[in-house]
Amino acid sequence: MPEHRDGRAVSKGAASPEAAAWKGPTYYGRSQLKPSPFNAWVVGGYIFLAGLSGASAVVSTVAEAVQGERGASIGRKGRYLSMLAPLVGAPLLILDLHTPTRFYNMWRIVKRTSPMSLGTWILTAFIGGAGVAVVAQLGVDLLGLKWLKRIARLGSAPAAITGAGISTYTAALLAATSAPYWAADEKGLGVRFASSSIAAGSAALALGEKSRSTRRTLNAITGIALLTELVATAVHHKNVKAKGVGASLESEWAHIEEAAVLGLGVLLPLGLYVASRRLGDRKRAGAVSDLASLAVMAGSAMLRVSTIRIGQDSASRPEVSLRFSQPENLPKKRRA
Amino acid sequence: MSKAAAGPMAEMEGVVTVVQEGRFQLTDLGGVSHNFMLSRFALAETEQLPALQNAQSRVRVKYSQADKLIAYLAHRIDLLDVA
Amino acid sequence: MEIHPFARAREYPDSVFHDVIPNESELTGGVTIEPGKQYGFFTDTTVCIGCKSCEVACKEWNNLPADDIGLTGQSYDNTGALSANTWRHVNFIEKKQALADDTAERPARGVRDNDQNAFQSGWLMMSDVCKHCHHAPCMESCPTGALFKTEFDTVVVQQDICNGCGYCVSACPFGVVALNPLDGKAHKCTLCYDRLKGGLEPACAKACPTESIQFGELSDLWERAATRVEDLHARGVTSAYTYGTPDAPGATGDMKYLNSFFLLTDRPEAYNLPAAPTRPSNRVAPAFAAGLSTIAGLALAAAVLFAGAKTTRD
Repeated sequence: MPEHRDGRAVSKGAASPEAAAWKGPTYYGRSQLKPSPFNAWVVGGYIFLAGLSGASAVVSTVAEAVQGERGASIGRKGRYLSMLAPLVGAPLLILDLHTPTRFYNMWRIVKRTSPMSLGTWILTAFIGGAGVAVVAQLGVDLLGLKWLKRIARLGSAPAAITGAGISTYTAALLAATSAPYWAADEKGLGVRFASSSIAAGSAALALGEKSRSTRRTLNAITGIALLTELVATAVHHKNVKAKGVGASLESEWAHIEEAAVLGLGVLLPLGLYVASRRLGDRKRAGAVSDLASLAVMAGSAMLRVSTIRIGQDSASRPEVSLRFSQPENLPKKRRA
Repeated sequence: MSKAAAGPMAEMEGVVTVVQEGRFQLTDLGGVSHNFMLSRFALAETEQLPALQNAQSRVRVKYSQADKLIAYLAHRIDLLDVA
Repeated sequence: MEIHPFARAREYPDSVFHDVIPNESELTGGVTIEPGKQYGFFTDTTVCIGCKSCEVACKEWNNLPADDIGLTGQSYDNTGALSANTWRHVNFIEKKQALADDTAERPARGVRDNDQNAFQSGWLMMSDVCKHCHHAPCMESCPTGALFKTEFDTVVVQQDICNGCGYCVSACPFGVVALNPLDGKAHKCTLCYDRLKGGLEPACAKACPTESIQFGELSDLWERAATRVEDLHARGVTSAYTYGTPDAPGATGDMKYLNSFFLLTDRPEAYNLPAAPTRPSNRVAPAFAAGLSTIAGLALAAAVLFAGAKTTRD
């Protein structure tokens, strides 16, 4: 029985997460890993803002492409929202560096094995496209230069493509580490971060939206993204447990994730959207929709913060980290 | 000036005798050696330290006690031999 | 190629040397250090006596400050773990009684199999160090290029480039790299890069009194380790195996091999080593693909919804 040699308890029947934890010797309870020194609120805040900015660029560009002139108001909002990543998100990233005065060294190289390096370049490209678009939009709005509209729309296209990148590379950023919770299911994390980004981006676009039809369309997009996130979360947690990292799903931050991400960020807004539709044309429908939007954004932010904290927890517990690094968790195709 | 140098800071004069990365050993006027590391906000950079060791020039270091380490944290290094 | 140390020692009969001995490593380690070759450590834990000479030599040469002094109550290990200021760390594992899950296939739990309480015959010591991985996850994750492979096939953090992002810390499967919050940079064993350039073997290997730490060319070390395992098996220590050599535990998951590898007599976890580490950069593409295809799918759904809104409204 391999269970004896691996030090895991011999489980009878289906293995519960507890039974799957490492039961063998540990070195005085010390983990063999060092938890990531990221500040969960600072880096989580950046990941959230990058997701919101990138996804709002994607959704608003799609709206403009499909609806033409009618989608221009969403396009305009998307261009302003896309400034959150460069204006607030990027300073957060620099703030988290331990030698912030050397932030520019991020542009020294391009390395495809490092999501942080790739992310730097994707974010740079995003700032370029979104920057052109927002400057042109400011020209239209402040100086009344109508001819800049075309340039604003042209800038949105590269912003949407790179926006897809900045709203998802952060999943690869966490997955390409040795922290068990992040590394256990890289695809699950990718889908969760991507769907949460689209939900937050679309919810932000719907915030304060006057047109009932536009609001309903945006809420429907948010709803689909939230349902995707709900399914992805269930699959992600199942895969994480199967790799023996289940103990970290019982930590304090896993409970916070459950309440803030699933409860506040997914289930509550889904209910509010249904309520908002049933309220019909009345003024309150808009207020309920806005409340739902805020809940979605809060949930999206908390998904990133709690994911970072659970990952740090998984790396600092030997019963999780030693269990995760068992031979049975090796990728199948590379086993030989 | 370094950002961390808000309060009054201790000073030590001596010669840089050993350099490794951002860490250096300062032998004071009494011949006692002390372990220093460059603070993250120090103006001096790692690559400037070997020159100090090679020149054996006297320097004055503004420093504070490093937290949880038996070492001092150097915030500012001034050359004393420069004419 | 091995050079017998005595052959060169005869060239230096004086007791006082006025200059640095060229290629001193030939005298002390029987190895010539040349750029372009692969070097590493072979740490044979069966002869480690836990003297911590390696820890001291490392701190001395690298001018590393002592971490907060205190007693941990964990055997003789008052160092705790590798850190930004501790690049060699001696593990002390006091084995208790034979465990209940001992089986016929794996009876030996140490050099000698016994059921005594903590006693020297059941005491394992291991000098842990940076593994200088062939596919080093810290280096692969470093966004600034501060971490690089040297001409001696070792992995070093360039202090003048590192901006302290801390990504390498979470990438390392062995918990080796660490950030020093005081100077804001990542630090780890350099395999004495400066000494290698000057023809000296690393300080820890030179200081080790029992040759538990052996420095040399990787291919030589692999051979030595294989011979040592065979020898130990012949002497009845059937639990001896290498950790970090090609196809051995520690070199799993596309890690290929570790330039500093170990000879162990208990399972890796006893020494706080992961049994099967993986190469984190292999997870970059799948994570990107999953995320981007989700965005594409949801963008498509958005396009359909926006198009539908156009025909039904207005």
